Amino acid sequence: MQLKASGATGAPTLRQALKVAAAGLLANGAAKAQEAPAKPPATSVDSGVLYYHENGRVQAVEPELNVAQKINEDSTLSLGFVFDSLTGPTPYGAVPSTLPQTYIRPYKIVPVGTLVPLTTSSGGSTVVLLPPASGSKTETLAATSIVPANTYPLDPSFHDTRVAGHVGWDQALTSTLKLDGGVAYSHEYDYRSASASLGLSKDFNAHNTTLSAAVNYESDLSFPVGGTPTPLTAMSGDFKGPDATRHEVDAVLGITQVMSRRWLSTLSYSYADSHGYQNNPYKIISVVDPVSGQPTAQLYESRPESRRKQSVFFENKIHLPSDVIAISLRGYKDDWGIKSVTADLRYRYQITQEYYLEPHFRYYEQGAADFFHYYLVAGEALPQYASADTRLAKFNAQTYGLKFGMPLNKGSELNLRVEYYDQRGNGSPSYAIGQLKQQNLFPDLKAFTVLLGYSYAF
Amino acid sequence: MRSERSSEIFGSTRSHPAEHRDVSTTFTAMASPCLVLVDTADPLLGAAVGSIVKAEALRIEAKFSRYRPSVVTTLNENAGEELEVDAETADLVDYSVLCYHLSQGRFDITSGALRRVWKFDGSGAVPTQDQVRQILKCVGWHRVTWNRPFLRLGVGMEIDFGGIGKEYAVDRALALASEFTDEPLLVNLGGDLRVSGPRRDGSHWHVAIENVDCPGAAAGMLQLSRGALATSGDTYRYLIKDAKRYGHVLDPVTGWPIADAPRSVTVHADTCSEAGQLAKLALLRGAGAEEFLKAEQVRAWCAR
Repeated sequence: MQLKASGATGAPTLRQALKVAAAGLLANGAAKAQEAPAKPPATSVDSGVLYYHENGRVQAVEPELNVAQKINEDSTLSLGFVFDSLTGPTPYGAVPSTLPQTYIRPYKIVPVGTLVPLTTSSGGSTVVLLPPASGSKTETLAATSIVPANTYPLDPSFHDTRVAGHVGWDQALTSTLKLDGGVAYSHEYDYRSASASLGLSKDFNAHNTTLSAAVNYESDLSFPVGGTPTPLTAMSGDFKGPDATRHEVDAVLGITQVMSRRWLSTLSYSYADSHGYQNNPYKIISVVDPVSGQPTAQLYESRPESRRKQSVFFENKIHLPSDVIAISLRGYKDDWGIKSVTADLRYRYQITQEYYLEPHFRYYEQGAADFFHYYLVAGEALPQYASADTRLAKFNAQTYGLKFGMPLNKGSELNLRVEYYDQRGNGSPSYAIGQLKQQNLFPDLKAFTVLLGYSYAF
Repeated sequence: MRSERSSEIFGSTRSHPAEHRDVSTTFTAMASPCLVLVDTADPLLGAAVGSIVKAEALRIEAKFSRYRPSVVTTLNENAGEELEVDAETADLVDYSVLCYHLSQGRFDITSGALRRVWKFDGSGAVPTQDQVRQILKCVGWHRVTWNRPFLRLGVGMEIDFGGIGKEYAVDRALALASEFTDEPLLVNLGGDLRVSGPRRDGSHWHVAIENVDCPGAAAGMLQLSRGALATSGDTYRYLIKDAKRYGHVLDPVTGWPIADAPRSVTVHADTCSEAGQLAKLALLRGAGAEEFLKAEQVRAWCAR
């Protein structure tokens, strides 16, 4: 039953007292809200450790830390740091053979007369002393490795460590216009890269549409162990040419549209143009006998000095009442002749209010670069460009992943992501010559990634 | 890679124009289903407001929990010793002392000890008069020394803010959320709720009042454009023995359930704390509940 206010004239004193007390309680509470942790977070920390393992090849451990700090209502500073360490063998690019093969690369320059054991072991390689040129004050140590018969040639000496960091700034200029900029630097033991970026985004249509544009300039320096080899010259233990540079400019134009309260769509186009040294200085390509298919020479690869890349990316995110679906498609082509498509599907399933599970499936397919060859044939004219790097070959890949997230306490989350990557190419081209018919020229690549992440907002 | 950045736009806080459905957030706090409705077309803003409310509700629940290590368990475990409490706890104590006096000692945050003999678990176990007499030695605000911010409970006593915590959480969470957004919103923690004001189009919020005989079913719809609603009663907690229903509202003066109390009382007031307290004070009046509400000129609904 509802009780209508009576016509009583006497003020209800109890109620008045209670009203005043309740208001007082909450007034104090409101004052405390200034320091209450329920305010939107001003600082967020994202950290993780990634472990990557390829079947019989490279493995990597990569700790990562990203911090974003809101400076004021309009600006945010972000900092990031990555360290990684790669070890394990990586393909030379050469073809396997029914005979054992010996590969060589420069290792160290020492003064003549330095006492070195004639053979020492280094990272699975054997170190040998090359005879010095007459009158030279130094002599060269080279590393050799023997690949057994019928084995895909892998370089056992590969290792890499990388330290990278970036600093970014986001600035709201007006309620609809945002500027962001950043610089990044990455240092590997044989490569370094510096880049700067600038982006602008503008909201239209009552924040329903966002147009964004960004440019990035990157400058790289390659200083491979043993120097930079001249393309299409024979693999040797001699020290090679000086450091090499590469510059890249890329631009992205994007539009993000709110289609409905639960559906967000993004379309973007990106264009990149790079000039300079594009080779992998450690990759070689075999020259084989036209009849037997046995390697007769190993040449350093040769790629064009420029590359122009274009891609279109389309993504849709759909918020179901508690779950989220993200579907994206990417089309890519470059002037090396590579065309690729990527389809990516993620479904974030909210198991309970707190825990979620996110299955992930990705399909990738690419066509070969115009200058990709499994090998070159002796006696035929050398092409201007040639590479046997299987990353430039035709292949397809599938990724299956699962991510599990759980909140630890207010504002922090621990998540674990496990992914399996399965890459398949054509290991037996129909035109293979001689002994190459019985070799696998494109071994399947399978990789496991485990990422343990921790994020915290406060 | 810059191209990957396009997906990040999704994570920013944006506002979008009207589209007529509220953004809702549901969660469980204080052992009750909770709901936040934000009258906005921006799902991200709505979700952010939802998370602010949820965080505040969980903060208050954790701080004053009787079951997990908290301010309350610390006080109870150290009954007999003088402890210093923080400002928020002291405010709640001051408020409860005022309610104690307004109710002539019937609203008492130390009455929780009665639960040691009164178990509302549906077992039908009614304590003996002797058990009640024994436990009453551990009940009563007059046995507490309160000298803000120093509190000393008598040995064997316990306090709990269950009678005011949920309503306080509603008011606090709404205040915090209102600092974050001007969009109209409704905070409902286990049936105690408050709205920030009318909806964007000026209309009322529609709130279902639960049917006491059939929990979960709506007894009627109510229109609300300002203020708060709080319900006190035995919808969920009672025991029945010899066909007599014992409500969960215990009289700390006698140690027995209040006789002839309404099954539930729902009160409309400016704040949820005020509404909740009026509902409890009405319930504690037993047969005089309606009369009390009438005298206090309160908009209220009683179920008997």
